[in-house]
Amino acid sequence: MSPLSSPGDKHTTHFGYQEVPVDEKASRVADVFHSVAARYDVMNDLMSFGIHRLWKRLTIERSGVRPGHSVLDIAGGTGDLTLKFSRMVGPRGHVVLADINESMLRVGRDKLLDNGVGGNVEYVQANAECLPFPDNTFDCITIAFGLRNVTDKASALRSMTRALKPGGRVLVLEFSKPVNPLLSKAYDEYSFRLLPRMGQMVAGDADSYRYLAESIRMHPDQETLQEMMEAAGLERVEYTNLTGGIVALHRGIKL
Amino acid sequence: MTLTPTLLLAGIERTLNALLARDPAAPSRLARLSGSRLLLRLERPELSLAIHFHPAGLDLLCPETESEDTFDAIVALDAETLGKLLGGESIERLMFQGRLSVRGRVPLLEATRDLLLDLDLDWEGELARWLGDVPAHSLAEGLRRAARWSRRAHGEMRSDIAEYVFEEAKLLPGQHQLDNLRDHLTELEMTTDRLEARLARLRRQLEREAAL
Repeated sequence: MSPLSSPGDKHTTHFGYQEVPVDEKASRVADVFHSVAARYDVMNDLMSFGIHRLWKRLTIERSGVRPGHSVLDIAGGTGDLTLKFSRMVGPRGHVVLADINESMLRVGRDKLLDNGVGGNVEYVQANAECLPFPDNTFDCITIAFGLRNVTDKASALRSMTRALKPGGRVLVLEFSKPVNPLLSKAYDEYSFRLLPRMGQMVAGDADSYRYLAESIRMHPDQETLQEMMEAAGLERVEYTNLTGGIVALHRGIKL
Repeated sequence: MTLTPTLLLAGIERTLNALLARDPAAPSRLARLSGSRLLLRLERPELSLAIHFHPAGLDLLCPETESEDTFDAIVALDAETLGKLLGGESIERLMFQGRLSVRGRVPLLEATRDLLLDLDLDWEGELARWLGDVPAHSLAEGLRRAARWSRRAHGEMRSDIAEYVFEEAKLLPGQHQLDNLRDHLTELEMTTDRLEARLARLRRQLEREAAL
């Protein structure tokens, strides 16, 4: 989402439900992830009842990645997607795990090394808004549960499109808007009441998980994100609602 | 969109990898298969399943689009043939019967089948991880003794019941008696047939004499 202008002409953007100066958001998001990095996987399993693994699995199936491909996993966190991609591309291909947050990157790298992944994976600390890669580099770029934390989403999508090879795919897996009002109500109750308590009990940090719930609500809905991807230069953009629209998988192709 | 097939596939993949992790012979077999890709194309129900082998196990995926040139072997079969294949039926025989079509490396299919069928789980070693070596060995010995006792008790019970039913209480005839009875019945049937034929001949003779 583009930064907003406040009456005082000072550029602000949202951080959960708060309005913060644009140049502060990245550091505040970084603080959240420094805080949760060590227990990120446990919390993901707890919060989603393990379903996040199925959402990621579907992303991998839709990626069309083959042996020899180059893949960029942005906001790769603890490396769930990278682990599978590294096996799929084989020794001739390569995968870049990128994350803006050093703590998350370190946890991801350790986890991948523990799983015997090494030769074809690189680790890069990078901001999605200005990816440090040449044009037309990757066959596939994924960003799973990361785009909503980016300050300037339009700029990040443009940067991904630039780094994508013609014919390549961008896949965005992100929380979205539930399509059923009843589900939406239950989901609100869960994420605003239960989630911060779980965060407090397991990770000792309720605020970070409150931010998670708020940032999901502030993220563009399915159609808006589709339009943003098209505006960034991607074509044949389509999305699939998962678990009643709690999460949506958007996919666009660079032609 | 329903996540049920994805969940099912994830469950199968997890189970297979957990079983492979407990087979001491699996790592060397997987090392030979590592990097290979097999596409299973089921006809009924229509389903494509990609199997990617890696040193720690295998990945199962339902590819949205399949580019055949990226697979080492493509296997087309129906669910019944898949059952027979996993039941140990010869791959060559199924191919000659036209039930199984393989393009690419046929030995990859054989190696995949062998990997799954020859799983030899070191369950005592797995118990030892949780309980320690000595308790796990004692428990395993206990279970083995229980299994041996159960097999022996089953055999003895069968023979005791047979002895009581056939010999002591004579509730049912034994196999020998049954064979004997069958022989006598066959002989009786043949004698009856002969008698019937003689009577028929006698009747014809009497009818001829009455006509004269």
